[in-house]
Amino acid sequence: MQATQQAVIEFRNVVKRFGAVAAVDHVTFSVGAGETVSLLGPSGCGKTTTLRLVSGFEEPDEGAIEIAGESMVGKRPYERNVGLLFQHYALFPHMTVAENVAYGLKHRCWPKAEIGDRVREMLRLVRLQGFENRRPGQMSGGQQQRVALARVLATKPKLVLLDEPLSALDAKLREELGLELKQILTAVGSTTIVVTHDQDEAMSLADRIIVMNRGRIEQQGTPDEIYMQPRTAFVASFIGRTNWFHGKIVEAAGDGFSRFATDSGTALAIRNSSPVDGKKWSVCIRPERVTVTRSQDGSGKPGDNQLHGDVVDVVNMGAEFHYIVESPEGRIMVVEPNRAGARVQKGERVTLHFRAEDCVVLARDGV
Amino acid sequence: MSGRLVDNVLRLVGLVAIGTIICFLLTPIVVTAIMAFDSRGYLGPLPPPSLSLRWFQRFFSDDYFLRGLGVSAQLALLSVTISVCVGVATAFAVERMSFAGKEALISLFLSPLVVPPVVTGFALLLFLSHLGIIDGFTRLLCGHIIITAPYTIRATLTGLAGIDRSLTEAALILGATERKAFWDVTFPLARTSIVSGAIFAFAVSMDDVAVSIMLTDAKTYTLPVALISSMRANFDLSIAAASVMLMTLTAILILILEKSVSLNRVIGQGVFRS
Repeated sequence: MQATQQAVIEFRNVVKRFGAVAAVDHVTFSVGAGETVSLLGPSGCGKTTTLRLVSGFEEPDEGAIEIAGESMVGKRPYERNVGLLFQHYALFPHMTVAENVAYGLKHRCWPKAEIGDRVREMLRLVRLQGFENRRPGQMSGGQQQRVALARVLATKPKLVLLDEPLSALDAKLREELGLELKQILTAVGSTTIVVTHDQDEAMSLADRIIVMNRGRIEQQGTPDEIYMQPRTAFVASFIGRTNWFHGKIVEAAGDGFSRFATDSGTALAIRNSSPVDGKKWSVCIRPERVTVTRSQDGSGKPGDNQLHGDVVDVVNMGAEFHYIVESPEGRIMVVEPNRAGARVQKGERVTLHFRAEDCVVLARDGV
Repeated sequence: MSGRLVDNVLRLVGLVAIGTIICFLLTPIVVTAIMAFDSRGYLGPLPPPSLSLRWFQRFFSDDYFLRGLGVSAQLALLSVTISVCVGVATAFAVERMSFAGKEALISLFLSPLVVPPVVTGFALLLFLSHLGIIDGFTRLLCGHIIITAPYTIRATLTGLAGIDRSLTEAALILGATERKAFWDVTFPLARTSIVSGAIFAFAVSMDDVAVSIMLTDAKTYTLPVALISSMRANFDLSIAAASVMLMTLTAILILILEKSVSLNRVIGQGVFRS
C-alpha cells in the first residue's frame, strides 16, 4: 500500500474488449513519480489501447485506473490533466506555434500574462525561441515534434504520455531527438509513459520497460533485466536478437547450473535452477555474448560451451560485425564490435564459445 | 516516325474537339449577353445596330420581376442558412459515429441530387398540402432546403474527412471540452469547405425552376419562375437582361469560391500529411 501512495498512475486488472477480443487483458502496473516507463510490444499488443485508457479516450470494461490516487472512472480526457504527445504531433495547423503551446493553458484558465511567460519558457526549453509566429506547416518534422512537446509540458501535466515519439522521424534525427527528449523530460521531472514498438526507443528512454503481448503484460523490469533475463520466449525474441537451442534439462550440476541436451544431441552447460523434469525447454543466448575463434587457434576459456561450425556470412554493419555460423544446432549469429576488421572470413571453420551464465533457459512456446 | 505523326494528328483533333465544345457552351451565353444590350424593341438579327440598357431598365421597373427577385433572394439566404446548419450538424454526426447503415444514410441525405427535381417538387407539394401547409414561402423554403442540403452535407463531409481525428483528441486532452474542441479546431479547419458548400447551395437555390414551379402560389414566386412565365406570356429581352445579371452573380460567387479553395490549399500544405 506504500507504493499506492507514491504511484502517479495505477492500473489494476484493467480489461478493455473490442467485440470478443480483449485488447487489454487484466493489465496491472503502476508508475511512480518521476519515473519513465515504456510500454513495449508489437502492433496489436494492447499498448495503444492502454494509452487511450490512460488518456480517457476509451473507458475500461473492468478494473480500476487511478491517477494520483483519484479514480478515473467516467472522467473525460479534459478532466485528467494528462499530457499526450501524439505520434504525428497533432499540432493545430491553423494556429501559430505560440497559440498551439498556449492552447492547453487557455483551457486550464491560466491568467493571460502568465500564459505568455509560460509559452516563452516552454519554447526556450525546446530551443524554439523566435518561432512563435510560425505555423506548424512551415516547420520540419523535428521542429514540429518539439512544438508538440512544449504544448504537452506547458500545462504541467501529472503524467506525460508519449505515443511512438520518434517513429515519424528519420534515423539520424531520431537519435538526436531521443537524447534531447530524455534530457527535457528529466529536466522537468515528469512522470512519463512511452508507448512504442521500437525496442531502441524503449531501452533508451525508459527506466523501466513493460513488455506487452496479446493484451497481457509479459514482463516488467529495467531495460537490463528485460534484455538479460527475459522471462518468456516472447520477450527474449522480441527484444534484441537471440540464438535458440531447443532440448531438455538432463542433469542438475549443482550451484544453480545444469546440463542441457539439445534435440540434436549437443550438450550445453546452462545457468538454471529448475529441476530435471523431462519437459521441453529452450535456451537462448544473445549474439554479442558469443565469441568466435578459428578452430585451429585453440579453444577459449575452459568451462565455456563450445560449438563448431562454418562461417556462412560476414556482414559489416560499420560499428559491428555480424557473423552467421552454420552449426549442428542451426545458424548461430555472433555480433562483435568492429575493433580491427573482421576476425574470421566466410567459409572458415570456427569454434563458438559462450558462458553458461549467459544462457537463459525458458519454457518452450510457439516461438 | 509514323507513330509521332499519329500523335500529332490526334493532338490536333483533340484541340479542335475542345474548341468546338467551348464554342458550343459559350455561344448561347455570348448571344444572350449581346441581346441583353440590344436597343431594338423587337427580336432582330444579330448584331444589334446599337446598344442600350433599356431591358435592364425594363426589368427593374417591372414589379413582377422585382417581386420574384425579392423572393428568390430571401429564399436563397434563408434556405442556405438553414441547410448549412443542418448540413454541418449532419455531416459532423455521420462522420464521428460508426453504425450499421451509415453509408445508406449518407446516400439518403444525398438522394435529392439524383431524384429528378420535378418529382421532388411534386411529392413535396402533395405532402405539404396533406399537412395543411399552403403558404407559398414556407413551401418554397422546404423545397429549397431539401435541394440545397445535399451540397452543404457533402461539402462538409469532404472538409471533415481532411481533418485528422487526433487534432480533436489533442484539444480534448489539453483541457478543451468537446464543444470547445469543435469551435476551436474542427470548425475553423472545415470552414472553407462549409463556405464552398454554402455558395454552391446558394447558386442552386437561385437557379432552381423545377422544384420551385410546383410550390409557388399567386403571390410568392421565384425569379426563375417569373422569367419563365413572363416568357410564355409575352417574349421580350428583359429575360436576357435578367440572365446576364444572374450569370454575373454566379461568376462572382465562383471567384469567391476559387479564392477560398485555393486559400485552403495554401493553409493545408504540409499539414495533413498522414
